[in-house]
Amino acid sequence: MIKRIPVTVLTGFLGAGKTTLVNRILGEQHGRRIAVIENEFGEVGVDQALVIGAEEEIFETSNGCLCCTVRGDLIRILAQLRKRRERFDAVLIETTGLADPGPVAQTFFVEEELREHYALDAIVTLVDALHLPQQLGHVPVVLEQIAFADVILLNKIDLVSSAIAARLTQQLHAINGTARIVPTEAAQLPLEQVLDLGAFDLERALARDSAFLEPPRPFEWAGIYRLGSAPALLRIGDDDGHGHHDHDHHDQDHHDHDQAAHHEQAQGEGMPLAQVDVVLLPLPAAADVATPEAQGATLEALLERAAAVFDSDALNVDGEAPLQPQRRLRLPAARSRRLPLALAPGLWALFCEHAPAEFGLSLPGAELLYQRSFGSHHHDLAIGSIGLTESRPLDAQRVNDWLSKLLQSRGQDILRMKGVLQFKAEPRRYVFHGVHMTFDGRLERAWPEASARVSRLVFIGRNLDRSELERGLAGCIA
Amino acid sequence: MSAATGASAAGRLVTLGHLELPEYPVDAAWAPDGRSLVVGLADGCVTLVQLPPLTSPQVLPPAQALQASQVLRAHSQSVLAVAWQKAGRLWASSGQDGRVLLWDARVQQPQVVHEERQWSERLAFAERGSGLAVATGRTLRVFDEAGTLRYQHAGSAGAISALAWHPRAAELASAGNGGVLLHRIDLKRSTGGPEAAAPPARLLPLRAVCVCIAFHPEGRLLAAGLQEGSVQLWNLATGSDSRLDGFGARVLATEWSATGRYLAGAAGSELALWDFSGRTGGHAGPAALRLPAHSERITALGFRPGGNWFASAGVDRRLLWWRAGAGDAPQDAHLLADECSLLRFSRDGALLAVGDASGGLSIFECRP
Repeated sequence: MIKRIPVTVLTGFLGAGKTTLVNRILGEQHGRRIAVIENEFGEVGVDQALVIGAEEEIFETSNGCLCCTVRGDLIRILAQLRKRRERFDAVLIETTGLADPGPVAQTFFVEEELREHYALDAIVTLVDALHLPQQLGHVPVVLEQIAFADVILLNKIDLVSSAIAARLTQQLHAINGTARIVPTEAAQLPLEQVLDLGAFDLERALARDSAFLEPPRPFEWAGIYRLGSAPALLRIGDDDGHGHHDHDHHDQDHHDHDQAAHHEQAQGEGMPLAQVDVVLLPLPAAADVATPEAQGATLEALLERAAAVFDSDALNVDGEAPLQPQRRLRLPAARSRRLPLALAPGLWALFCEHAPAEFGLSLPGAELLYQRSFGSHHHDLAIGSIGLTESRPLDAQRVNDWLSKLLQSRGQDILRMKGVLQFKAEPRRYVFHGVHMTFDGRLERAWPEASARVSRLVFIGRNLDRSELERGLAGCIA
Repeated sequence: MSAATGASAAGRLVTLGHLELPEYPVDAAWAPDGRSLVVGLADGCVTLVQLPPLTSPQVLPPAQALQASQVLRAHSQSVLAVAWQKAGRLWASSGQDGRVLLWDARVQQPQVVHEERQWSERLAFAERGSGLAVATGRTLRVFDEAGTLRYQHAGSAGAISALAWHPRAAELASAGNGGVLLHRIDLKRSTGGPEAAAPPARLLPLRAVCVCIAFHPEGRLLAAGLQEGSVQLWNLATGSDSRLDGFGARVLATEWSATGRYLAGAAGSELALWDFSGRTGGHAGPAALRLPAHSERITALGFRPGGNWFASAGVDRRLLWWRAGAGDAPQDAHLLADECSLLRFSRDGALLAVGDASGGLSIFECRP
């Protein structure tokens, strides 16, 4: 079988840096032959690659669903391109800043001729870190572009503080749990992070971060610390007056002074958190922290306990009294603070409502042995991700019936869907992905003998109801 | 597959010759004499193929290895389309380099009649006269024999995906998203510019994407294959329309038989034939006869000029030779080396050129 040519869809709101990225890709000596389909011609040389002008021509497909739209220009252009014997290594499609990438992706599901020769490899969305906070609330298409993405380039990262960058990363994760988020300056990044990623493969996405598959937790981050005999201290922000500290718990002497300028800007945007809840739990004396695996298991065993403490009333911390363990502590995070800890030397677990980088948390003198992020729980955005897992085998027909019914009724709201499923009496994995109501699935390689067979599904969309999806999946168990 | 010999060759496609081209043959156009053709390739070259004189039709010549009589470096990137005047020595090519070239068969140096970075995907010479229609995105242009722009229309709702000249009138149809536009083209008109005082184009509106169009040989009907898998039919005199439904995929081609009795359509691997000899069947049109012979996507379909025979070919490499009205089985079949890339009958209907994706070009003699 002919290797299908990978197609990357590049999307991003006006000013996010798409043209810069395209020019950079074309200008780089990477030895790859790339066909670029642009809706507007940028300042690119034709000699460097085949640059094709296209007028985005979107129309509805015949299945009667308004959300099923395809790009007619792509059908024609890609059909012509594939005739050239001198094959391309990749195709890059740049969309207009005002469009969601749904129609482009759906074109590859719907058109048989394109499916024969091209494989939609990844949707890469550029976002402008400086303007994203405003855009998230006011520009729906930016949310959709993020929701559709397999890779999100958080561009112009040099223009915001690390605290804002961390918060934006959390927000992007909350919208789209499967996307890889890559911070960039002036859209500078290795080409390998944009082209030929195989990003539609859910397992590859999960290998990077599977936190969002878990039930929501009241904390976004947890770490295991080893405290020595010196009096312990919890620091918020940067007591040198340099604003938020970079997320570096290992090397407390290494300060990133470049962050100083960003702090004022962050304050100006009103982004820093006013307060943040944390919980400190002691680890049993016999806790195994010899290896990262053992550390992970040790932390895992504490998650339910931590969640229970987060469920209790918060204790406002104000003043010089030492912080108490096993309480939900509400820390002031608006300005730099040094808070004493009344903790015995040994192993401690710290659970934080937000990622430490968001409020510049550090424990001077303590050694961070292990850390882990959890699914974000921002509820203020209209679009989000829900991940489900099921270890029991599924019935293929029931899954088909469920997904068909779900897409018929919620196809407009479900922007992306990906999954790897375990069917009863089927040694191979069933892999699928979809955009709105269009859907592509097939049996792929066998489940590895040694690994646990777990079905995983991810939905990204508007107003998704986790319990509804969980019930639906439970109804598919064979 | 075919083993036509002697008198049994009736109802067959007889292989006359074969040529191995260096690249994918994208499009081909026969010269009016029916003995030479230009083939546009994916490397930007155009190959001129001159056929040896035919022997008496009663004696089958042995299939021979044909040779390109000329290879022209026409475009710096792949050819998109070629077209030859219905009568005359001018032919045209367009390429992915954005150029439209007008060639005189006697001169090797072409005239660049249009150039822009958007592709000119469709070319069509007028059935009568010498107008060359060029579709570039949403813009339609018509050039005269001297390569002068004589008509321009930039008001299409979507990109133009198909062109067809009226067989009997100076009218040109351009189709795309939103329907078909009918343009009155008068190259004799002397005006201040291509867009000045041009009569307004008549729109046949449609909430659908037209992929291909074909005028009935008498010009009274226009058939359009739609993206959504049906065929739209307009009666141009009355303005009434009907819809022939039933395809599951984008309609790649619609073709009328020379008699005007039959309309054939291809979409995906489905091939259908409609018989318009009796009642038209009202708004739903006549019932389709399904021809289930292709196992994979059909890529080319064409009626032989002068009669009710037609050919179809596709990704399954099968070239099938049909007689409309003779049931749902093909009369002859050939196996191509690769998926079919083009299928073109000579103007007199004597020969058929068939290209495949591996670069093969076969010439068949059509024996109805």
